[in-house]
Amino acid sequence: MNEHYTFWKMTAGVLCTVGLYSVLYRENKFYRFFEHIFLGLAAGYAIVALWTENLKEGWYDLLVGSQGTAGHSGPNGYYLYALLLPIGLMGYFVFSKKHSWMSRIPIGIVLGLWSGQQVQVWWNRYGGQIQDSIKPMVPTVWSPAFKPDAAGMDPKLAANVANNVYISDAVTNIIFVITLLAVLSYFLFSFDVKNKAIRGFSTLGRYLLMIGFGAIFGSTVMMRFSLVIDRMYYIWIEWLMNHVMHGKF
Amino acid sequence: MDTPQDPVARTAEEVQVFEAAKIEKKTHQTRMILFGLLILCSTIPLFLTLGVPNKPTQSTVDLYSTLMSVPDNSTVLLQTDWTLSTRGESGGEFEGLMRVLMRKNCKIALYSMSDAQAPQVAIDEIALLLNPERKAKGEREYKAWDDYISLGFFPNAEGETASMAANLRSAWTGKKAIDVQGQEEDVFQSPVLKNVQTIANVPLVVIITATNSFNVLIERLAGKVPVIALVTGVMGPESNVYYSSKQIQGLAIGMKGVYDLETMMEEGINSPGKDGKVAFEWPNHPPVAGFPGETNYGRGKLYFPTLHIDMTLMILAVIFGNVGMFMAKKRGNR
Repeated sequence: MNEHYTFWKMTAGVLCTVGLYSVLYRENKFYRFFEHIFLGLAAGYAIVALWTENLKEGWYDLLVGSQGTAGHSGPNGYYLYALLLPIGLMGYFVFSKKHSWMSRIPIGIVLGLWSGQQVQVWWNRYGGQIQDSIKPMVPTVWSPAFKPDAAGMDPKLAANVANNVYISDAVTNIIFVITLLAVLSYFLFSFDVKNKAIRGFSTLGRYLLMIGFGAIFGSTVMMRFSLVIDRMYYIWIEWLMNHVMHGKF
Repeated sequence: MDTPQDPVARTAEEVQVFEAAKIEKKTHQTRMILFGLLILCSTIPLFLTLGVPNKPTQSTVDLYSTLMSVPDNSTVLLQTDWTLSTRGESGGEFEGLMRVLMRKNCKIALYSMSDAQAPQVAIDEIALLLNPERKAKGEREYKAWDDYISLGFFPNAEGETASMAANLRSAWTGKKAIDVQGQEEDVFQSPVLKNVQTIANVPLVVIITATNSFNVLIERLAGKVPVIALVTGVMGPESNVYYSSKQIQGLAIGMKGVYDLETMMEEGINSPGKDGKVAFEWPNHPPVAGFPGETNYGRGKLYFPTLHIDMTLMILAVIFGNVGMFMAKKRGNR
């Protein structure tokens, strides 16, 4: 029974995969059918999960209390949680022209909470990066040019190796700082830059950005390929070989 | 495709439409040939045992050493924000990570801030793939409640992560899971979270993601607890800045990250194998043991050579396409 269930479940997966990839040939009803199944399933699942994993546990159960399980007495209901319901429902007045002002109350609360976090959030995200952008560009040691392997060294010497700036480190840091400044100069939109050197520098920034975007595009393509490869693995190995042919190949 | 009609005795405009249809048909045929080739290139290597030499990158070396430095039997928070839509990369990352954590007997509290289906996907991976694998080797299966719990999906990532950073117990008030007796119990009664009072009690937070939820986690948790991330190739470039500025302790990116992790699970870092030889050397790094001979290789080793072949196909297609366009232009100029 379980084996049959797994087989049919996997077969449905194969049909869905083929159905969704059929759009590569052309837009067709088969594709549309599976697309709508996919969207419907995702939306339905999300609604149930929102209730069972969030609203019920995080609000309703706390509001009405629970009897408790396994010999533990459950907590009493805390009816002040009921006040959250009208506040939340006010958000839906955005659809009414006459009462849309009411929707601004929950939106205002959310915006206020969100704004209050932003100073810390901004610093947490960018502070470390700004700090890391300040890099030493002058070597502290001129020979050797590359950082030596500290394996087996005396701990003090190893610490020195870790702290020293070798020529190779300095070159890397210079490339980093030039890239950073060139890209920043490209975004000087507030005033017209007439200085030729700065304009040349910002053009360099544009080219460096393009290299960056190229790398991002490359990563994206690799990811898409990985998805195709995984689907092929699912169809040919997991479904066909392991479940249809039971590994007899 | 509809077959274009014979243009004889038609107006110039109709001929133009006919020509356009002809070009469209040809482009469609070429595209179909390319898709066919892509399917072949993505399938045939999966049946062959191809090996691609691999040298893990600095970020995955740090990821693996951070992972291995987690004390045995401790509780790890796992933000699992991936579903089957990125199984090619995230699935491999999850499986590699879980194999390491399971071998260290770590307890895992998993949740998602990005997708309602994500926790179930993770549970299914444990139940359908990782547990049978352990059972087949005579190892203890990972049990829900005792070894891992699912806290489910949190739709408000910003608010929830901020609450977790401020007060973990209060953030997860009311959260329930099914205990060994099959009854709903408070998650803090489970062996996984029993001894966890604040986020500082957790030695590591791991995020596997294909989405922006990673930024939210960094903004609210970085600096309060060690974080490692396993992301998709698309997320790689924007995640790298967090690694280079040391806001996270380790990073695995896409298929290469999966293969790196699997390689280190097999070979360790500067760790002598049974023959006394160090299989993977990394300068200025203390030895970190691997799990030689165990089930370490998975999707990374299997998909990585296939990815190379697909990339070769794409590069060739770009070259031929450009050469063809250049020659067509030249003919047109004449």
